[in-house]
Amino acid sequence: MTGFEQLVDGFAVALSWKGLLYCFIGCLWGTIVGVLPGLGPLAGMTLLLPLTFGLEPTIGIIMLTGIFYGAMYGGSTTSILVRIPGEAASVVTCIDGYEMARQGRAGPALMIAAIGSFIGGTFSILGLMFIAPPLAKVMVAIGPSVEVVLMLLALSVIAIVSAGSRAKTAAMLLLGLVLGTVGLDNLTGTARFTFGNADLAGGLSFTALAIGLFGISEILINLEKTETIKAIQPKMRELIPRWKDLRESSGAVGRASVIGFIFGIIPGVSHVVSTFVSYAAEKRISKHPEQFGKGAIAGVAGPETANNAVTGTAMIPLLALGIPSIPATAILLSALTIHGVQPGPLLLKDHPEVFWGLVASMYIGNIMLLILNLPLVGIFVNLLRIPYAWLVPIILIVSIIGVYSVNSSVADIWIMVLSGGAGYVLRKFGYEMAPLLLALVLGDRLEDNFRLALTMSGGSYATFADHASIIVVASVAGLLLSVQALAWAFGYRKSFADEAERA
Amino acid sequence: MSDSSEVEPRPGAPAFLPQSIGARRGGLALAAALAAFGLLFVWQAAGLDLGGIGLPGAGFFPLMTGAALAAFAIAIGVQLLREPDDGRVIEFGHRDVLIVFAAMLGVPLLFEPLGAYGTLGLFGAVLLVLIARTSLVRAGIAAVVAMTMCWGFFQQLLGLQLPAGPW
Repeated sequence: MTGFEQLVDGFAVALSWKGLLYCFIGCLWGTIVGVLPGLGPLAGMTLLLPLTFGLEPTIGIIMLTGIFYGAMYGGSTTSILVRIPGEAASVVTCIDGYEMARQGRAGPALMIAAIGSFIGGTFSILGLMFIAPPLAKVMVAIGPSVEVVLMLLALSVIAIVSAGSRAKTAAMLLLGLVLGTVGLDNLTGTARFTFGNADLAGGLSFTALAIGLFGISEILINLEKTETIKAIQPKMRELIPRWKDLRESSGAVGRASVIGFIFGIIPGVSHVVSTFVSYAAEKRISKHPEQFGKGAIAGVAGPETANNAVTGTAMIPLLALGIPSIPATAILLSALTIHGVQPGPLLLKDHPEVFWGLVASMYIGNIMLLILNLPLVGIFVNLLRIPYAWLVPIILIVSIIGVYSVNSSVADIWIMVLSGGAGYVLRKFGYEMAPLLLALVLGDRLEDNFRLALTMSGGSYATFADHASIIVVASVAGLLLSVQALAWAFGYRKSFADEAERA
Repeated sequence: MSDSSEVEPRPGAPAFLPQSIGARRGGLALAAALAAFGLLFVWQAAGLDLGGIGLPGAGFFPLMTGAALAAFAIAIGVQLLREPDDGRVIEFGHRDVLIVFAAMLGVPLLFEPLGAYGTLGLFGAVLLVLIARTSLVRAGIAAVVAMTMCWGFFQQLLGLQLPAGPW
């Protein structure tokens, strides 16, 4: 079967009533969590993760992915109308987006953000479509030793490039690896750190930990704030941008699509970084850099395009290599694994309907979001008027039911609550949760492949320095250095993203 | 980042909340806790089969990662000790945070004895009264409506069975 035929099959899945329905649910819920400050795509995905367990794998992944890129669309709404980013990747949009809104140009800002998001998202889906299959073919022959090298490389890159202190990031990675060892050892069946508790034999529930560390801790942190929100309300007729706006933003959209595409592949580099690089690049290139910060439309078009251009390419390491590069894809990995589908080089061979169904649904989802976001902006703005104290019980009740539904175990609720408290304390002291989650997801496979590789090589560590491993390390290192050089050339500094992540 | 917002004083919170802790002192305590956690895993892993360096057993990976965690936690602590204290404080014990966390701790305790809907209804009502500051009647009505919707969606539509409790 050719790629085109497989894509057609994928559209058949995505255009089924279930595919359309769950894509719509994901996009709508994603937009809502993007609009509501304090929830974010990760919390949104983890909240609905348990609901996917009764669905087919492809449909479940379609919904979860819809939440991910829907949140990118939704985050721009609050950035532009309220100057509060709905999620971290929309921080930069606050700068010029809100200024445009104050000048009575909220409509064009929202419209350009939506169009840029659509184009960036479509560009990255094309990248996913053309890069993932050949990459998977190359990687299908890799053995456990190269997988170990790849995973260690991914974890190292996360430690180096993540926001905040590198030592703290490394500590969180190691904490994730340590927590991943709880339960029965996969190779020998030995009980590890279960303390005789049968509920822990299967390990710590990923869903409970993810909801606790991200969702619960986020809620607790937001409860400390006492702000009331005043939103600028755009009128429908103001949504249409001027021809001048489209002309001024077209270059930014094109460049940001490429920037987001490149940064999406690198592990641990969140979409926040791509937005900062895009903004810095546009300001550097612009003939009128003094307009940035005062309502320059390129300052909205670039970042919003870049953060959506990340979504498709972030899927490439997950689907082709089985390695999640960002926490959102870690949740997708967990969902696929629970459904018995192992992402990685064999995914396209064994479950092509999952890959192509997802690709097709991302095209459809991007169109849905372009149509949804603008006419419904008034409704989304009104969501901001719901007092946060009313949202908290609703979110927590749904979380508790969702977590319990995975294993019908009260122990999972305990894990969620306690990890939520721990996550709250850790975040207050500047520890990031994303590295912990990524390491938790990778830890099992890392250990199993490590021990398998040594068994196959008769105990020789030289297996990790073989020809294939060296090529992989050199290629990834070369890519990272090139991207770092590009980012620096455009004036990006790590401190910008550090401040944004803390905001 | 939120110039458009107004900060309002939080009514109802006791005067002694939230409490402040020095960022440096709290950071050291947290680093110590992480180090202790890592060493706990090292101690427990040492009791498992470690195998050989060339063929690791079940205890090898957790021992190494636990030791590395303890090492990094100690390094974070040393870094904090070497830096001058900038006087930064971190606040803990915000009223609403304490209430929500305490209420959440009660949920797994009551979930099976009282039943899912009874526990979650009570949980929601308590939060609405204490943090949303609604009246008891309004909170009770909201809890009943919410639990009816949860029952309809999760149990009837999704077929999810939740503990019924004594009902």
